Amino acid sequence: MSAADNGAGERAGSADRALARLRSWCERHAIWLVLALLFALAAALSEAFLRPVYIFNIVRQAAPVGIAAIGVTMVMILGGVDLSVGAVISLSAVLAAVLMDGDPSNIPMALTLTMLAGAALGGVNGVLLAFNRVSPFILTLGMAVVITGITQIYSGGTARGIVAPGFREFFNHRIGGMVPVLALAFVLLSLAGIALQRTTRFGRNLYLIGSNPLAATLSGLPVRRVTIVAYALSGLFGALAGLALLARSGVSSTFAGRGLEFDVLAAVVLGGTTFQGGRGGIGGTVAGVFVLLIAFNLVNIVGLNYNAQLIVKGLIIIAASAAYTYVKRAQ
Amino acid sequence: MRSLFASRYGILAVLAAVLVLASATIPEFRSASNLANVAVQSSALAILAIGQTLVIIAGLIDLSVGMLIGLIVVVTCDVMDGQSAMTAVAIALALGIGAGVGAVNGLLNNILRIHPLILTFGMLSVLQGAVFVYTDRSVGRTSPEFAWLANGDIAGMPFSALLLLVTALAAAGLLHRTRLGRHLFATGGHEEHARRAGINTARVRFWAFTLSGLSAGIAGILVAGRLGTGYPNAGVGYELDAIVAVVLGGTSLAGGRGSIAGTVAAVFVLGIASNALNLLEVSSFTQILIKGLIVVAAILLNQPRRRVPA
Repeated sequence: MSAADNGAGERAGSADRALARLRSWCERHAIWLVLALLFALAAALSEAFLRPVYIFNIVRQAAPVGIAAIGVTMVMILGGVDLSVGAVISLSAVLAAVLMDGDPSNIPMALTLTMLAGAALGGVNGVLLAFNRVSPFILTLGMAVVITGITQIYSGGTARGIVAPGFREFFNHRIGGMVPVLALAFVLLSLAGIALQRTTRFGRNLYLIGSNPLAATLSGLPVRRVTIVAYALSGLFGALAGLALLARSGVSSTFAGRGLEFDVLAAVVLGGTTFQGGRGGIGGTVAGVFVLLIAFNLVNIVGLNYNAQLIVKGLIIIAASAAYTYVKRAQ
Repeated sequence: MRSLFASRYGILAVLAAVLVLASATIPEFRSASNLANVAVQSSALAILAIGQTLVIIAGLIDLSVGMLIGLIVVVTCDVMDGQSAMTAVAIALALGIGAGVGAVNGLLNNILRIHPLILTFGMLSVLQGAVFVYTDRSVGRTSPEFAWLANGDIAGMPFSALLLLVTALAAAGLLHRTRLGRHLFATGGHEEHARRAGINTARVRFWAFTLSGLSAGIAGILVAGRLGTGYPNAGVGYELDAIVAVVLGGTSLAGGRGSIAGTVAAVFVLGIASNALNLLEVSSFTQILIKGLIVVAAILLNQPRRRVPA
């Protein structure tokens, strides 16, 4: 009798374990389920979502926010946040256009200096946070105001600079008539970010420091160095996002990136990286970016005007985030 | 101890310093009409920031208030369209829409359990869409009585400043003299501990958001009264200015501590700095930069430290 009970118990135990594994898988990949559902809905509503050209268009559209979100994910795994990224995007777009000054031979110099400027501004955030330990939320908010001021003074408040011929053409060229270079760049940068996060000591340190900063400090991890490098990378990815925006739109407005930090933040949090740090990752963030973007495209296809789209955008952010939280809480 | 003292009273010292510096160096600054002007210009933001202080003390945040002001400005002006008879209706609408949207934020936060930053960011987008679906250009105008609320004075004292004083005293009384106030601090300090101590934290969060919405209603009345017309972009950016003021005032973004006096002082520091720079004819671009540097410097000197870096 007891043997039969044991057998039943074991079977129940292994079933429980399998269920637990399934739930844990669901938890980690909840955002992908949301993305798949949304994509299925989109494809049901419009044939366009099944055409590769349209899909690659979406990837290209996602590039500016998506690239910035890669860097912000890293600082959020660390337990920080970077709200200056929208201002960095604006500054980079203006800076690159001014440095190019309409001359293709200036392009390499313009790109290098823009990336350096982004990394340097991010580095300032990192140094201030590594040595002062104030709230990263508010410090980077303050830095956003500073950077916006610099951009305004530098540009005189209007769109300045001339994008060199060839710059936009290169990034919008479709390889094989299909894949825009900009979309490919976004994919490659995402893969680079995932590799950095998964395979390097720096990536491991991000998670260790984020999940328990005190333990990380006590066990001698280079907390300050990792902090500075993470924020510098966030600035660098912000600059790359600014270049992507310039390549996509060609407009070097001083407010090109205004408000994008919240789109970035929404994508990162949807993707499962929390404000507490220590969990999440760039893969989820990329899925989060596409959830938001497909949602906006869907609204477009249904035929609502831009103002109504804003309402739907807000509702989708709330609903997707709620669905994701529900799946996570279900276990 | 020193840093605790600095984080509690630092902003009052900064306010005194800014006040003395501006009065000593800029003669026009000292005039009664200019000082009244500073008070009038600062009161809407100060009232909004008081609401945000309550939310942040409870460990939450409310990004939706800027667009909420925009919605209130548009709706009240459209409803009044210059008629005195509609003044009371417009005031009731402003307070009702404000508290109502705040209550919706509170309910959604409790039901959906999503991060308040994401929730209120989503709400910001919804409200922005609602404002622009309603109108994409300025509509209606305020009645003379409604405009008086923002621009009038009683024996030389601007009414908006009196409104701010009453709001600040009410909020401070709420925080320090009532059960809800103590529960706001407890919930923001450690939600789980507060819940286990028997505090209905869902109810606390609901009221924090509702009061924040109500503060946007009052601030919206002042903004509409100053503009005189329903400009759809009237509220853009107010939420960030309010958060900046709250944090400059020494309220911890982690929740659990903060003060109304600090927030109001911070609003006046920013208001006086902006007024002084205007009098000195500094360009608006340079002003943005200076404002940012003030914010960063004040944060580095003033925000409560975390124990460990990140």
